[in-house]
Amino acid sequence: MTAPFLAARGIAKRFGALTALSGVDLDINAGEVLALLGDNGAGKSTFIKILAGAHAQSSGELLVEGAPVSFASPKDAASSGIATIFQELALSENLSIAENVFLGRELKRSVLGIPFLKRGEMRKRVDALLTELDAHISDPEAPVGSLSGGQRQAVAICRALNLNAKLVIMDEPTAALAVAETRKVLSLTRRLAERGCAVVLISHNISDVFEVADRMVVFRRGRKVAERLRADTNPEEIVSLITGAHPDVRALERTN
Amino acid sequence: MMNGVLTRNGREWSLLAACIVAIIVFSVASPYFATSGNAATLLRNSVELLLVGLGMTLLLAMGGIDVSVGIVMGLAAIGVGRALGADLPVGVTALAGPVIGAGLGLVTAAVVVLGRVPAIVGTLGLLGVYRTAIFVLLGGQWLSGLPTGLTDVLAATFLGIPVAAFLIALAYLAVWLALRRTPYGLHLLAIGNSEEKARLSGIPVVRVRFATFIVSGALTGLAATFYVANYRNVEMTIGTTLALDAIAAVVLGGTSILGGKCSLLGTVLGVLLLRILQNGLLLVGVPSLWQPVLTGGLLIGVLMLEVAAGRLSFPQTGWVRK
Repeated sequence: MTAPFLAARGIAKRFGALTALSGVDLDINAGEVLALLGDNGAGKSTFIKILAGAHAQSSGELLVEGAPVSFASPKDAASSGIATIFQELALSENLSIAENVFLGRELKRSVLGIPFLKRGEMRKRVDALLTELDAHISDPEAPVGSLSGGQRQAVAICRALNLNAKLVIMDEPTAALAVAETRKVLSLTRRLAERGCAVVLISHNISDVFEVADRMVVFRRGRKVAERLRADTNPEEIVSLITGAHPDVRALERTN
Repeated sequence: MMNGVLTRNGREWSLLAACIVAIIVFSVASPYFATSGNAATLLRNSVELLLVGLGMTLLLAMGGIDVSVGIVMGLAAIGVGRALGADLPVGVTALAGPVIGAGLGLVTAAVVVLGRVPAIVGTLGLLGVYRTAIFVLLGGQWLSGLPTGLTDVLAATFLGIPVAAFLIALAYLAVWLALRRTPYGLHLLAIGNSEEKARLSGIPVVRVRFATFIVSGALTGLAATFYVANYRNVEMTIGTTLALDAIAAVVLGGTSILGGKCSLLGTVLGVLLLRILQNGLLLVGVPSLWQPVLTGGLLIGVLMLEVAAGRLSFPQTGWVRK
């Protein structure tokens, strides 16, 4: 077993007197889809915000490829290879797919000191990424505003890949999608892992999770209460872990 | 691909058609309209608006605006006029306009970007400050009877085309290249779409906004150079309707007042249509007093039509965008 891409050790987060997260240990492996499950307020969002560099942990440490890291901003997290695709995708609807994928880090050549865009090369790279993801988007020149929700997810994934992300965090990627679109995004998620990326998926939809996740972690009241391989569990068990009806969770919560 | 620098909705064709119809109607209505003398007057009167409109196109595309452009042109014109009166070399005199304009653009950017005051309010405040500055600088008197040095240079022709026309074409070409061929254009349109998303995408939002206010200021200052060359005087009321004219022409041209979309060709045609209507109505006997009514009416009318057609919607509570 190789070292995990990212290891969280004893991560806790306090907001004043409120403890949002305590003692979370978690390994995130390359090539694996890891689902984070839990009720609202269970601590999933706080946890991914720490991974994404949006919050700093109050205690505990993060190791990327074995080396301790500390993120002061999302930019720091990005330079460690962590990309977060938020539910509200940060895409510019008035720009094309190719422009969005490269926005903020365009390819350019300098002519007399003026940075000119290498549009042809950017288009080719995006074309290749879209084909590789089998995203069924034929024209990288189309404005993002004309795309469906699922296609926009695909563009956001392309953008993460193009940033050389090694860990892609997806926050409820299928929440607002129709059935066929959901299928498509789930298969994109799978393909991302097959490509060697580590994927963290937050979802409330148990059947989606069972379709794509290799491993599932359940959060409850700011703690990690369970970790299961997909092969070793079933939706009923996961639901009982989330709601706290599961004997393990009850035992755990009694001891605290 | 066009991505908003040229719009897809055929606005340019409609404007071209409107210009042609207006030209035909006024040619029939007034014997003075379709003369080479009037055509020259019309084009000369469009020069400042073409330049100020170019800057305003960038500002609106970015989700910004500047209602102080008229007074900024006035201040720059005083600088140009003084330089001209002091017999400084023509090059220095000509550059005084864009340099002063860029400096005032920097002030605007400081207020709006660093001070985080909404552009429409920040520039309105500056308008008040500058109005008095003009009065103080001019001492209540017109700057008039200026020498012809600048006029001669800009009116000189090359291959039968005035130097002024070349300079304006150059300005449009440079802005078009910046918009379509450099990262700046993408960043500007992304900010116009949503400043928050642009920031999340790693765009240097503050730098892009500063640069755009400075460029718009420099273009307004260049307009001042042409103004002084054209009229050889600077009056107290200089630029009173310029902001209204520029915003109306640019919005007519298809640039979105909410940002994220612009058309340079649309701006050129919007300026021409506005000037044709103003000139034509004057020639058929409508007093010039009515011109701002026409401009303001066109601006409101176009926006109301876009809202009615569902292409535009404004938040109905509060006036600060997004």
